[in-house]
Amino acid sequence: MTEDVKKVAQPHIVVENLNLWYGEKQALKNISLQVPRNSVTALIGPSGCGKSTFIRCLNRMNDLVKNCRIKGKVLIENEDIYGADVDVVELRKKVGMVFQKPNPFPMSIYDNIAYGPRIHGINKKDIDGVVESALRSAVLFEETSDRLKSPALSLSGGQQQRLCIARTLAVKPKIILFDEPTSALDPISTARIEDLIMTLKKDYTIVIVTHNMQQAARISDYTGYFLLGELIEFGQTRQIFHSPKEKSTEDYITGRFG
Amino acid sequence: MIRKRYFQQLDLLKESVHSLGEMSELIFHDSMEAVVDLNVDLARKTLALEYKVDILEEKIEISVFDLLALQQPMAKDLRLVVSALKISADLRRIVGLSINIAKIPDKIEGEHIKPLIDTKKMADITAYMLENSLKAFLTQDEALAREAAARDDEVDKLFHVVWVELIEMMAKDTSIISKATYLLFLSRYLERIADHCCNICESAVYLATSERVRLN
Repeated sequence: MTEDVKKVAQPHIVVENLNLWYGEKQALKNISLQVPRNSVTALIGPSGCGKSTFIRCLNRMNDLVKNCRIKGKVLIENEDIYGADVDVVELRKKVGMVFQKPNPFPMSIYDNIAYGPRIHGINKKDIDGVVESALRSAVLFEETSDRLKSPALSLSGGQQQRLCIARTLAVKPKIILFDEPTSALDPISTARIEDLIMTLKKDYTIVIVTHNMQQAARISDYTGYFLLGELIEFGQTRQIFHSPKEKSTEDYITGRFG
Repeated sequence: MIRKRYFQQLDLLKESVHSLGEMSELIFHDSMEAVVDLNVDLARKTLALEYKVDILEEKIEISVFDLLALQQPMAKDLRLVVSALKISADLRRIVGLSINIAKIPDKIEGEHIKPLIDTKKMADITAYMLENSLKAFLTQDEALAREAAARDDEVDKLFHVVWVELIEMMAKDTSIISKATYLLFLSRYLERIADHCCNICESAVYLATSERVRLN
């Protein structure tokens, strides 16, 4: 492990000795890392290495998985999110998530975005503003401003994904988790989402799981490499793709793995 | 093994740099022999080899661009590809300077104005540096790269000795100025070739360690 970046100046997320089991099977082994604020951290590794499992620990999505057991600490803004008095709904408001497949609700574009703020009790007269602002931040407003009442499912795949990002932004999270956000999209939609992610880091801390190593290299500031449930190496993206310290990282990113 | 074609391309690139290196060594060796013995035939044969170097250098450039554009090499592979491009440019300059050396015999009538003792020493050390800088690159041997580059100091010192000696000779006897100037150029070419060997050593260290060093 690269000690120099293992501890960062202003970590937004601090993970200490995180272990996770699905039943008997241990899926995460002693993961410790610190995610810097207002940066993009990419997690890479072969299928089944634990990177998605890991990212799902950061907003307790694994709570929904049967027989899932977790040991260790995840501190977000210095608060242990597995603490007894944590409100999971509040946590997930703070830590938003965007998934591999765009998953808009079967309702209008407008309602998709208004859904979260409404649940969290937003003042009715503020909704229009929130919807517009979220759509603008997700660079979708220009394309949809004249058909906000149309079904979200009438949008293209890339637009749907930006809508899901806008929906996440509407509840004003601090952290956004992306789990393979572009693997179902064409190169142009992918480029748009990548641009968007890089713009968003100004205001949010971003963690992204990706199979696309070039994508990790292009958009992230830090990269973590997972293998068989372990965090093998974590460091600045430049360093990881230029001169990884671990042979196993080198093997993976140069395609010698397997 | 996955990405088999990619690894073959990387191996092939390394092979091409190896071939270019061997050709550069041959051209350097023969041009030195030609200038020491004032062997015009050997000099002409050497000059005729330059076009082969151009072909090989272009081949390396094309493989590098293909690898970068089509395979997106990372980490050590990326360092190999970048080093190969830099080293081929250094080798091309070494060949260019050797060609300059091979042009000298044709211009010198009769014998040299003096036996080429220190100049030959310079050439021997330079040949050692060239051979081992390439070896260090091919075997990713950091220690060898540093050791080969360290010998540049000896070349620089000899260059100074030769320079002073020739200037003094010219001051005493102006009739030798033309021939002496060619020998001055010769020592300068050798000194430059040794510098390019140092660059190759730097690339070899970079490939082996990812450290950017100045060895010159």
